[in-house]
Amino acid sequence: MPIDAATSALNLSFPPTTSATGFVVPQSRSFTVSVNPVVLFSILDHYLRRQENQHRVIGTLLGVRSEDGSEVEVRNCFPVPHDESQNQVAVDMVYHQSMFELHKKVNAKEVIVGWYATGSNLNQWNALIQDFYSKEVSPPFQAIHLTMDTDLKNEEKLLGVKTYVSAPIGISAKPENCLFLPVPCDVKYFDAERSGLDLLASAKDQTDRSTSLISDMDNLEKTILVVQEMLERISEYVNKVLDGSVPANNKVGRFLMDTVSVVPKIDKVEFEKMFNSHLQDLLMVVYLANMTRTQLAIAEKLQLLV
Amino acid sequence: MTSNGSTTTKDGLSNVNVTAALDVEGNVPLESVQLDGLVVLKIIKHCREFFPNPVTGQLLGLDVNGVLEVTNCFPFPGSKADDENEIVDGARYQVDMMRCLRDVNVDHNTVGWYQSTYLGSFVTHKLIETQYNYQQTFNNKSVVIVHDVSRSTHGNLSLRAFRFTRAFMEAQKEGKFTSESLIKNKLTFSTIFEELPITIKNSHLVTALLHSLDDYEHVIPKASSLDKETVVGPLTPNFDTLELSLDPYIEKNLEFLLEAVEEHSQEQSNFAFWQRSVVREQTKMQAALQKRKQENTHRLAAGQDPLPEEDIAKMFKFPPEPSRLDSLLITSQINNYCKQLNQYAGPTLGKLFMAGEFQK
Repeated sequence: MPIDAATSALNLSFPPTTSATGFVVPQSRSFTVSVNPVVLFSILDHYLRRQENQHRVIGTLLGVRSEDGSEVEVRNCFPVPHDESQNQVAVDMVYHQSMFELHKKVNAKEVIVGWYATGSNLNQWNALIQDFYSKEVSPPFQAIHLTMDTDLKNEEKLLGVKTYVSAPIGISAKPENCLFLPVPCDVKYFDAERSGLDLLASAKDQTDRSTSLISDMDNLEKTILVVQEMLERISEYVNKVLDGSVPANNKVGRFLMDTVSVVPKIDKVEFEKMFNSHLQDLLMVVYLANMTRTQLAIAEKLQLLV
Repeated sequence: MTSNGSTTTKDGLSNVNVTAALDVEGNVPLESVQLDGLVVLKIIKHCREFFPNPVTGQLLGLDVNGVLEVTNCFPFPGSKADDENEIVDGARYQVDMMRCLRDVNVDHNTVGWYQSTYLGSFVTHKLIETQYNYQQTFNNKSVVIVHDVSRSTHGNLSLRAFRFTRAFMEAQKEGKFTSESLIKNKLTFSTIFEELPITIKNSHLVTALLHSLDDYEHVIPKASSLDKETVVGPLTPNFDTLELSLDPYIEKNLEFLLEAVEEHSQEQSNFAFWQRSVVREQTKMQAALQKRKQENTHRLAAGQDPLPEEDIAKMFKFPPEPSRLDSLLITSQINNYCKQLNQYAGPTLGKLFMAGEFQK
């Protein structure tokens, strides 16, 4: 769509980043932000504990960025007390500094990468605070601004998480004049966190929002049930296609065939041998462990008798 | 034990509900621990970042009517050396952190601490000392939460809450762990710790967040874009539990078990050595006593006063009994390892048979 002077469209690009050599390179890569679930939970907790008269809360985001600055990973955050009224906004900078020092003692790799606010609207206070944080973040990188829609007004996506960078706009470079450019953001987590997240997610279906820890065997049972259900759905679908009641989709069929062929084809005798030897190893370990435990139990009883 | 503190509190709060909930006198014993979702994620994140070094942190929350609610936590910086500066720094860090958290309305009431562990080897002297301090200071209302990072990567979160039994607290207070004190307190390795059940509770907003994470649009791929790498959302089903190879973990566990058994046999030999030396001293004392008795009979016959016999007893010093605490800890650790092996073996057998079924 050609842009001429009559339209009100503005051609804005992401602010340039510097490469390692220090030259200013125009931004050609896409700028992505990935957020750790801890950060989201932490923001919600802070919002729950806000003071009576505050409509929204702000805080600092900590994280790491990749070397060329195009990927930012937000790993941690802490709340910062702030005051907002019609004419002015005040952010407790001393608090921000001291909390950052404390956090750095634990994890020296995390640096300030931006700030967050609850509430989905962006007003001029945001611009001012963004300017303040841009100074905190070592130049020339941009400060990330993350918002969480805690008012739950947006019906399509509850608690939408959006991230922005700011670009200067306007004739003079005043701090209030800046435009927030949305940046794609993703929720990323590690394997160990995955199991914790799953456990928390199992609580969301209960009425009292709580759940308790389950043993390994129970967890295995749950997963197997899920797999069984998926297999049943697939076999139902395949049967329907064979009967002709559902039109066949080639892509789905090929995908299913690929999935089924993942099971390795091993010679039956070989498999029996491997299976049995593995079984024997396991049973031996279990037997030894149980024997040790009985020994300890006997020693315990004898100790008390003496 | 009073279950409802409202009628027996001395400070006369007029709001009955408040006194019932806040156990002001500390009479209600702890039954279970309730964690906020945020605390779980924070503990996992901190332990994972410094794996395999053990890390610790503090738990904050409130004790409500027998349930210890943990609402927040913060990590401790790792200590590089055990010198005076480190201890002072650690205390100052705690104080600063609590003060900052109070400014943002976070509960700044300490209810315990957490520790990460590697394959279940957490029963150490350091843990005993720290937990003893905590439990002593907070009137038995503090727990230690132990998180095992390597086990959690198999799809099931491993989080356990412990505190010391009364028997162990008594023994630790006296500071000696001889055989008689152990018997007096009926203390064995299995009665050191009490495990408390953990529940996890989420706030309403967090529940909404979890629901929204579940409905990510790109979890359900369109039929036209099916390929091997479909985008995986945060809450798609997790198949880490179906991982077939648990052998490295079983091997590691066995290694630890062997080391612990060796240490245990060392402790046993120490104890046996002590026993032998005591017996030696005893025989020597008996011999000297006999000689003294003979001398006395001679002197009586010669008309002199008999020499006292108590001096002999004072001349022989018995070596002190070595502390049995180490052997207690080691046996408890061995027990842990064995239990873990059992717990690994169960699901592995199941998976093995499942793989067998797939082959048919």
